[in-house]
Amino acid sequence: MAAKRYDAIIIGGGHNGLVTAAYLARAGKSVLVLERRPRVGGAAVTEEIFPGFKFTMFSYVVSLLRPEIIRDLDLPRHGLHILPLESTVTPMENGDYLAAWADHDETRRELYRHSPRDAEAYDEYGRLMHFMAQAVKPILSMVPPDPTSFSPGDLVALLKLGRHFRGLGGERLHALVKLMTMSSADFLDEWFETDVLKATKSASGIIGTFLGPRSPGTAYVLLHHYMGELDGVFRAWGFAKGGTGAVSEAIASSARAFGAEIRCDAPVARVLVKGGRAIGVVMENGDELRANIVVSSLDPRRTFLQLLDSDQLPDDFVSDIKRFKFRGSSGKVNLALDALPSFTCMPGIGRQHRGAFSISPSLDYVERAYDEAKYGEFSRRPYMDIVFPSMIDPGMAPPGKHVMSIFVQYAPYHLNGGWSDAKREAFGDAVVNTVESFAPGFKSMILHRQVITPLDIERITGLSEGNIFAGELALHQLFFLRPAPGWAKFATPVRNFYQCGSGTHPGGGIMGASGRLAALRILKDGK
Amino acid sequence: MSYDAIVIGAGANGLVTAHYLARAGKRVVVVEQRHAADPSADIGWVPPRVVRDLELRDLRLEQPDPWLTAPLSGGGTLELSREIGRSTEAIRRISPGDAAKWPEFCQRVRTLAGVLEKLYLAPPPDIETRDPRELARIGGLALYVRRLGKQAVIDLARILPMSVAELLDDWFESDVLKGALGAVGIWHLKQGPRSGGTAFNFLHHHAGSPAGVFRPARSNVTQALEGMKGVEVRRGSRATVLAKNGRATGVVLEKSGEAILAPIVVSSADPRATLHPVAIELDPEFARAVDNIKARGVVARGTLTLEGAPSYSSLCIAPSLEYLERAYDDAKYGRDSAAPYVEVQRTDGRLELHVQYVPYTDGTANVQRHQALQQKVAHVLGVQTSQVKLQSPDEEELQRGATEGHLYHGELTLDQILFMRPVPGWSRYRTPIGGLYLCGAGTHPGGGIPGAAGRNAAREIV
Repeated sequence: MAAKRYDAIIIGGGHNGLVTAAYLARAGKSVLVLERRPRVGGAAVTEEIFPGFKFTMFSYVVSLLRPEIIRDLDLPRHGLHILPLESTVTPMENGDYLAAWADHDETRRELYRHSPRDAEAYDEYGRLMHFMAQAVKPILSMVPPDPTSFSPGDLVALLKLGRHFRGLGGERLHALVKLMTMSSADFLDEWFETDVLKATKSASGIIGTFLGPRSPGTAYVLLHHYMGELDGVFRAWGFAKGGTGAVSEAIASSARAFGAEIRCDAPVARVLVKGGRAIGVVMENGDELRANIVVSSLDPRRTFLQLLDSDQLPDDFVSDIKRFKFRGSSGKVNLALDALPSFTCMPGIGRQHRGAFSISPSLDYVERAYDEAKYGEFSRRPYMDIVFPSMIDPGMAPPGKHVMSIFVQYAPYHLNGGWSDAKREAFGDAVVNTVESFAPGFKSMILHRQVITPLDIERITGLSEGNIFAGELALHQLFFLRPAPGWAKFATPVRNFYQCGSGTHPGGGIMGASGRLAALRILKDGK
Repeated sequence: MSYDAIVIGAGANGLVTAHYLARAGKRVVVVEQRHAADPSADIGWVPPRVVRDLELRDLRLEQPDPWLTAPLSGGGTLELSREIGRSTEAIRRISPGDAAKWPEFCQRVRTLAGVLEKLYLAPPPDIETRDPRELARIGGLALYVRRLGKQAVIDLARILPMSVAELLDDWFESDVLKGALGAVGIWHLKQGPRSGGTAFNFLHHHAGSPAGVFRPARSNVTQALEGMKGVEVRRGSRATVLAKNGRATGVVLEKSGEAILAPIVVSSADPRATLHPVAIELDPEFARAVDNIKARGVVARGTLTLEGAPSYSSLCIAPSLEYLERAYDDAKYGRDSAAPYVEVQRTDGRLELHVQYVPYTDGTANVQRHQALQQKVAHVLGVQTSQVKLQSPDEEELQRGATEGHLYHGELTLDQILFMRPVPGWSRYRTPIGGLYLCGAGTHPGGGIPGAAGRNAAREIV
């Protein structure tokens, strides 16, 4: 029997690869997804590491899955069910706290307790951010034009973009410039006076970056939170029932329903190129599979430096890709708990456990955590975002028991002396001890501990340097520069070879957008 | 005696504005709080256009060669010359790889600085405009940039938001070279070399310099302007803007209480200091924007006294980017750098000091802190404490009135340049007070380019 020839082979079954597959299959293409691991999801997987306890191993909250993807792929029918995260409590070093609740008025009263002025400013700030998020959204769903090209299509797109921004009007245009260029600390300084408020808000601006709250370029990440809310996916942050792995499963199920074939335990060694065209892939076991086009959802470094030989690519392009920065900075600690910890600032067990605890008591605290990482050490008192998935989805742990997910920053990939088992445990100890200082007695509740360093993230998911966004979201790595100037439109220098991962525009944290744009691009190219 | 225009401040920008206005037939008086001119040199590119227009015959530019000397950790020095070939040879001794890249690096960043020069000699592009002439000008600028070639467009987009550390790490491996170059990227910023936007600051200070020279020119431009006829300068008193019904009517001299009236008042003082006294007349949005200008002084300036001339013309103590970053870490938490970046520049036989970071605190002089700082700097330079004389940002504010002792009247961060400077929407040297203009470093194109803001402002006024 002659081997089947597919319309498209997708390398990597992470959420972007699956989204691309689903869209292509939906358009009637024969699609094959090849995933190296035994399960789909990439960094969005749920695994039972300790009997009875399910962990969302890496990414832990669903933020910004594009609503058009949920709609187009009919994800709720395929099992996607998002549960809202109701609150964020930020414990302070003096035993007080700052809380943000689902109820807007309650949040306002809470802010008022800290600063009447900030409570006033909060609403105005919220309105501006909502508007700005609305203004930026169209960019997330457009293929970036190339300003270095003189083609009419690019010129028209650039002019349109210019018109769009001018249409915002002076004040908002200025706010946009500020958001794109300032540090989150400086930006928030213009609005608020309460340090802990600025700390907890700016902490969301550093996630996944190798930057501190006082580093320029962190302000625009603040916007992302408002984009999620606008899309009506409950609030900005939510849980998928069954963990983030359930999101991947839902997309996979939708892709299969459209006719896509998904193979797990199917590692690809390289892309087959003949006469400057991709014609298929070679599997690690030597098998060859043929397709009209090949799409990689891996990060740019793996896509171009591992799946291809450098001599198949222009030199300039290869050096641009080599220069693309990853610098993973975050780790994860997953715990199985005998009981829920009680935090000094808000004693007892209650509704606060259905939301997040943000360990970001002051701007200086977060900035100091960054200082250590800058010089190659993990933070001894890190910034942490803590959630208890079992409080929202009881299916995640046995009755009466709990799982605790701790996102930790900073844990630099390039640790002085390199990561080792001992260093990993020391990092885990630092995390647990810091939590203990805010919730005494917590350590005695730990039944099992899983510590994940950036090196572990790289080894398990394949993300280079463990960067959770498949490439830093820095201003000079965005839009028409992501992943390399001239190659931000999902095509690559090799004909019939496309890229669709988070390493392309608009980048990670915007779940699925890259995968969808890539699929639309491929279909537009008539492939 | 009646005047058509009053200019506050007899610095380079104030005098340039005054002379342009005078040449346009206006009777102009300049009021300056200091009794005598500041003897320290003006740092930065004096645009040739200004020199030509005002016929600045007495202008002397210092062109030291080598333009920088940096001590090497194992003894000896790295000397960077005005001639690219000689610098290349010097760099080869510490890193052949870096030497090989030096000429191309110099050319690439020179092209980008050229773009800035073009932007700096005119008011910032008005991105909200519907005026066809302004649109044509912006279109012309865009075309100019694209004609420089694909590489220049990509460099511009990539490098402007970068940190100077990322830029230099892309090219070089030698710590001492990266430290010496990176230092100028943090000048007058409360940011470290790893902060985004410092690559822009690096390019800003390259404007006007030839390829391969990464320290701005030094000149006697203020003195040269003072020696010119045609403008009256009144010294010795601070002046406050007088405004009535939303219009500037003149200034009042604080010492004598004397009022000088004129329909046009142009201030080269920093925006906050200029506008605070008339704040009641301002709309609250504008007042808030002015308060939000980041002008966090971090530089102590001063002089070094040595017996006999030193062997260098300028000495840079910034052994690595990490050294600079650690110096910044202290400033983040409000402390003077434990190991500060120190640069000595020889000008007219004087040795001037630039020390960073010395963060502004509360506007008072703290004797203990001051002594500790002088000791530290003396230690870094290997001299006696008595040979070092420094002025902290706090003292700068007390003596000159510059808000938070910031010499550039506002940091040159990406959110405070071009049409965002001094405050968003008011980048055309005007203010909400009719007849009141700004012409100082707080406006486009900012500090370090003496005369550019002054010229742009005068042209807007006329």
